[in-house]
Amino acid sequence: MDAFGSAECSAGQRETTLVLRPEINDLLTQTGPKTPMGDLFRQYWMPACLAEELPEDGCPPIRLKLLSERLVAFRDSYGNYGLIDEFCAHRGASLWFGRNEEGGLRCPYHGWKYDTTGQCVDVPSEADNSSFAQNVTLTAYPLVKIGDVLWTYMGNPATQPPLPEWEFALVPPEQTYTSKRWQQSNWLQAFEGGIDSSHVTFLHSGGLKTDPLFKGAKGNEYNLNDTKPFFEVADSEGGLFVGARRNAEDGNYYWRITPWVMPNFTMVPPRGDHPIHGHFWVPIDDENCWAYSFDYHPVRALTPEERQAMIDGHGVHSKNIPGTYRPVANMDNDYLMNREKQKTGEWYSGIEGIAIQDSSLQESMGPIVDRTKERLVPADSGIIKARQKLRKAAIALRDQGVTPPGVDPAHHHVRSAAVVLPQAEAFLDAARDDVRVKPGMPVASV
Amino acid sequence: MTVDTSLSSCARAASAAEARYRIDAPVESRRARVIALDEPAADVLRSVAALEWASARFFVCDTVGGSGEADDVLLRGIDGSPAVLSGELAGAHVVVMVATQDSGANCAYVIGKACWERAVMTAGLVLGDGSQTLGAVAALRPHARVLLPTADESDLVELLTALRV
Repeated sequence: MDAFGSAECSAGQRETTLVLRPEINDLLTQTGPKTPMGDLFRQYWMPACLAEELPEDGCPPIRLKLLSERLVAFRDSYGNYGLIDEFCAHRGASLWFGRNEEGGLRCPYHGWKYDTTGQCVDVPSEADNSSFAQNVTLTAYPLVKIGDVLWTYMGNPATQPPLPEWEFALVPPEQTYTSKRWQQSNWLQAFEGGIDSSHVTFLHSGGLKTDPLFKGAKGNEYNLNDTKPFFEVADSEGGLFVGARRNAEDGNYYWRITPWVMPNFTMVPPRGDHPIHGHFWVPIDDENCWAYSFDYHPVRALTPEERQAMIDGHGVHSKNIPGTYRPVANMDNDYLMNREKQKTGEWYSGIEGIAIQDSSLQESMGPIVDRTKERLVPADSGIIKARQKLRKAAIALRDQGVTPPGVDPAHHHVRSAAVVLPQAEAFLDAARDDVRVKPGMPVASV
Repeated sequence: MTVDTSLSSCARAASAAEARYRIDAPVESRRARVIALDEPAADVLRSVAALEWASARFFVCDTVGGSGEADDVLLRGIDGSPAVLSGELAGAHVVVMVATQDSGANCAYVIGKACWERAVMTAGLVLGDGSQTLGAVAALRPHARVLLPTADESDLVELLTALRV
């Protein structure tokens, strides 16, 4: 029996615990080289790091681990970005110690030097006219700056897709802000929080009233007044739209529409005229991931107050330990749990901040949550459907070489939306234009 | 008494090593009633019902009586056996309605209302290509707490499996 199949199996072969079998969990959570989900991730351009991590030509290199591969990123003295195998081909020393000099990164152990393509360009111990260096290359991936992010593509160069076209990365710099934080869990349980609209009313209820990047929106009242939303999950070209519906005035519905673009891009429905935000959930290895969090406004610059609030860790961002991307509140200090604020409801879980409210609970599940023990409910249909689409796409890629949804940059042109609609209207029909990027036009928000 | 504070409770508890101490209690299945609202949906249910399920029962909504109450709604089991909606809802945790067209709007209304009155969770699947199923989606929307319009019949299997029915 195919370990990954379900609908692909005949009735007689099927087991009742099919989706929840450990093999399926492994399929979805393992993203290292030569794994089906790892191969899937390697079809896409992914955030590798923030541009601020390589702030100037010839700056110090940084260590990166992505999709369970250890890498070093650097910006050479001529301004070229490189993402190469962390370890020198000679004796395996880490190139994080490398000297970034004259168009390359030189291993300080014996002086071997590599350019941004991973090509060795100098082996000092060889004769001056030796061609030995030409035969030495390190694995290297492209590294491209778009917006505040340096993007990489770790797949087959022959099938490298066009560059990503996410709106948050394409608007002018004064209109966008991106941060990142280390999350000590598998990428999937972090991502699943991004399409799980039903937790907002509880876990983040305090933030709707007080967070400077959320408060004051009319939509917040709908959220807080109707704690049992209805859900509608609809396919999109790149993934899904998850609509959460609550009662509004005069028999209308308040819809919050969350897009997911495969495999790991999610957006949060907007609130009032606040900037719109979302995430990339990028696997570091199978037990850690990066949560990239962005905010942007499509038609105006972020105000100084908004930008400062983001830097201070409000909204979807986190307050990080200075000089690192680890949140100040983390598992080593019990996330600075405050039982008094939990009791008063100011912070529903006792944890401060939207991002850490999420990460604290997602990390508490363990590095890779055992999904065989879950009790999903119909309100989890977005998660159920997303897992199905990921699994099917990984299998289609593995077995038939099918390019998965979300690779085509046209699939990137999505927005979240928050709209009030008459009861009779289907949310995706009525809001079809609202969930598409319209450059220079405002988001649909309440 | 000294307390080891070198590892906080969260850091220790969230480790992979600690995961093996989690209590391994069996997860009980959920009692589900899966009801086709039209004949094409019934065809889909026949193939899905042939799979192995823990406690799910599969029906077609046959007749809605004049009262519009659950006692007056006749169901037909996939094997042809008759049943009454009110009886099937007794003890049910979730009702999944499946439609391909809007002809089952009346059934959806009555089932949705009966579930609401009995605090039974509802979900709806509308099978087919978008434009042809708008009527069915509209008919189910007020009565299904979760609605999945989909062209993929395997979504029903996925949903029921994930719900452990």
